This record gives sequence, C-alpha cells and structure tokens, in this order.
Amino acid sequence: MSADTVMVRRPTAKPAGEVSVPSFVLERPITGLTIGIRADRAWRSWQLISEIWSEYLRRDGAETIAVETGAQMGRPGSDDRKQIEELASITDCAIVGLGTCGSCTTFTIKDAVTVEDHEKPVVAIVCEEFIVHGRNVATHLGHGALKILVLPYPLEALPADELRAIADDYYPQVLALLGATA
Amino acid sequence: MTLSADRVEIPADPRAQYELSLTEHWGDGVPLLPATDDAIDALLAASPYPADHVLCVLPPCNGVATVELIAINAAMAGVEPAAFGVAIAALEAVSEPEWNPFGLTTTTSSVFPMLIVNGPSRDDLGIDYRASCMGGAAGRGTMTIGRAVSLCLRNIGGQRAGETTKSVFGQPARLGFCIGEWEERSPWPSLAERRGFRADQDVVTVHGGKGTFPMADIHNDDPRDLLYLIAKSIAYPLANMYLGNPENGEVVVAINPMWAERFGRAFPSVDRLQEFLRDNAWQPIELWPEGNAAMLRSRGRVDAGGRVHLVERPDQIVPIVCGGLGSLHAIALPSFGESHMQSRAVLANPATQER
Repeated sequence: MSADTVMVRRPTAKPAGEVSVPSFVLERPITGLTIGIRADRAWRSWQLISEIWSEYLRRDGAETIAVETGAQMGRPGSDDRKQIEELASITDCAIVGLGTCGSCTTFTIKDAVTVEDHEKPVVAIVCEEFIVHGRNVATHLGHGALKILVLPYPLEALPADELRAIADDYYPQVLALLGATA
Repeated sequence: MTLSADRVEIPADPRAQYELSLTEHWGDGVPLLPATDDAIDALLAASPYPADHVLCVLPPCNGVATVELIAINAAMAGVEPAAFGVAIAALEAVSEPEWNPFGLTTTTSSVFPMLIVNGPSRDDLGIDYRASCMGGAAGRGTMTIGRAVSLCLRNIGGQRAGETTKSVFGQPARLGFCIGEWEERSPWPSLAERRGFRADQDVVTVHGGKGTFPMADIHNDDPRDLLYLIAKSIAYPLANMYLGNPENGEVVVAINPMWAERFGRAFPSVDRLQEFLRDNAWQPIELWPEGNAAMLRSRGRVDAGGRVHLVERPDQIVPIVCGGLGSLHAIALPSFGESHMQSRAVLANPATQER
C-alpha cells in the first residue's frame, strides 16, 4: 500500500446455497396416488386453477388433499406451517402455489422445500415476474434443483375463462414436472 | 485484531471508495466511508461479541452475518463505536422469525426495518427524537445506525432491488430509519418499558414499517375527538392489515409532545388509550366495493355491527412520543401486517463499557 492508496475490507457475504439437495420425481402414473395441493387465501386466480387441477387429478385416478394457507408468522403462520408439514407427510407428492408477489413467492418456495425435505416430488407454482426471485430463494435454501412451473403474469384480474384456459394448458406440464408417466 | 474479510486496495481519494461501492454494488448510492482496519477494529472493540461470532443469518440470500462483516458495513455507514451495539441489537431483532425477515426482505411492499430507540444514551449517540426526527434533524446516530442495518441487509443478506427484493416502490427509509422516543415528554411508560425493559436500559425496537403516513389537525381541542380521527385515519381501506390476519402486526403512531400532553390528561393509562384507538380504528363494510367486501366477509373480518376493525387487539396500535413542539401533526408507521415488532437490549463490550 502506498500513500496514494488505502486498504478497505470487502463488506459482502457469500450467499448460501452452494450445495443443493436432489429433487424427486414420481416415475409412475398418478393413478392411486394422493396428491397434496397448497392453495393461498390471497390469490383468487390460483384458487380457481388449483381447483381445476384437483378435478383433473381426480379424473386421472389420484386422490387430492387441499390445504389453504394465508399467513407468514404469528399463530396463524405457525398453524399454516403445521398444515404443510402434515400435508407433506401424508401425501405422495404435492403442488404448491402461488408465487405472484415477493413474500408469497418466498413462502411458496419455503413450503415446497418442506415437501422436498420429506423426499417427495413437489412442484412450486410461480408467475413469470417472480421466477428469478423464486429460484434465488430455492437456491439459498439449499434446494436449487426444486421443480418450478412458471405461469403467465399477471394472473389476477384475468377473466375466469382465461384462467381455465391457462389451467388446461399447464396441467400436462405440472404432471411432467412431478415425473408422472402415462 | 485479526480480520478475515478480503482486503481491497483503492486510491486514497475519497471518491474512489464511492466509485468502488457503485461498481461493486456495495452501496446504496450515497457516498460511504472507507472500511479501514482501524475503523473496523474500533467498532469491534466496542462490540459485545468477538469478530468471528455469527450473529445471525440474513435473508434474502441467507448470508452469514459475522460481527466482523457487520462492523465493516457499520464503518462504511459512519457508525461510531459507542453506537455499534445499537446496530448489533437491531440486526438481532430483524433476524427473529416473528419479525418475518424472509417475507419482509422479499415482498413487493415498501416495508423496511424502522428502528425506535429508548434509553439513556439517545442524546450521546445523536439519535433524533425532537424536531424533524424522521428526517432532517441530522443526528449522527439516526443517520448512521439505520443505514448500517440497511447496508447489512444489502451486502450480507444480498438484498437487491428488483432481483432478490421485489419491492415495487421501496421507500426513503430503505436508506435507514432510526429515531428515538422523547421519553421525558411522554405521559406514559416508554415503548421499551411497555415491552418489559427497564428505563435505564438502552433498547432498540424494530418495526416493519411501510412508510411515514402523515396526519394533521388545527381545528379540534378535544383529545378524544382527535384520537378518534387518528384511529379513523390509520384504518384506511387499503391498509395491509385489511389484507391479512388481524392478529398479526402493529401500527406505530408517533404523537408530538404537545398532543401527548393532551392525550395523557384524557388517558393517563396507555392501555386505555390503546383500547380507545383500537375500538375506533374501523371502517364500515359498505366502504369497500363488493370484491374486497366479499373477501373481508369470508375471512370473518366483519363484526355484528358491520364494522371491520383494523386490528384485533389494543396492543397492536403502538403510540410513541417524539417530534417537535410545533404540535399539529402525527405520523403513523403502517404495518406490513405479517410481522411483529421485536425489541433487544443494547449490549456493550463488558471490558470497555463506559456507558
């Protein structure tokens, strides 16, 4: 160091997530399986899409169990996380949504990670605007391989017939990401 | 003291540090001081913890916040050693799960940590609680401690606008927000005392605040009327607390000392004051269009009289006393909702404790 220079220290930390756990796939048809669906009180669009998918899953021979979350902390948040833990333990795989805001994407990913921690296939559902954030959260939680299905953005304020069309279009993709075979 | 963070050699010209902060994304756009070993060592000497102590993991990227890294960021913000413990305590509070750090650092909302300091060191540390305390008073503690917390979230937590934090607008407090309470002019126990601390302790309370919501009146001399209007004002129909769970979150109401004196005569007990505010902080369900009203009804938010209360409990409306003696104004710090404020006592290094 000369008189014309000064030494300073780097203020940044390395982000977590260098190591990632594996994700899981079904590698079998969904017939006879129990599939968990996590809805969210905040998003009417996702309530409709997840209900349509639930109907299609039952049509295709699976049972579905739906839970609805709506809190991030406090007693309601604690109750929601218990619900997700229970869902992860009693189902064969799960579909978890919806990431269409910052914190709700965070909690969508966190709840999907809970399912993956049970070594079960799971797909997190995140809208396009929030996909980079969603992948960041998954990576920093050590679940960089988490399966995420990207839905169009925005979904809110779309008419019901357009949401039904989106549900139809993306249903095969959610099955594919779960690893369901014909 | 042995430091472990990477060393970077830069030109001594003070503008070089600023340029480096911009190119390396270490900063918030405002010039920074160089984090030299001398500056960092001075902070660490005042720390209650050793340099390699892991204080917490900061979201959104789960960066490991060692005391050394916190000191580096505090040095860049210009925190003086005597105030370093406040920044440490604030980060401990921010990392509490019930503050919901993951949610609050990633949300589309403008919410950010707002620090409220109580205790005997407010003046020594330059923490503003009198005129223009929320911006403009220029106290060193106010302007540096909040910014140090902000830099830690940015540099250790990895918070980056539009990338890891989805805040649509942000807010000025994202450069740092730290005020004191004018305890000596409050007719009630201080915020820290109400939260279980002693009056002789320095305490920082961190609130997840969405911004500063101003209120004013020049027409009413009746304290109950004025409090009624404050209650109605904070229960604005698009408040976050109407979106989520009524039992989560707090709204801070900053009351100027002149109004506090009037309110204190009408409500010698702060508990009764909070009950009055809670009982009047509601709007009629008819105020909302049907889409919103249906959601509020489905969540059980509407009582038998058709009222939609902002919060479930009186303790969720939190009065503090601060601001100038010009009266006429109050400021609410609205809540994100899904967050409970957290308080921590400020610790000093026992070997060097002077305060």
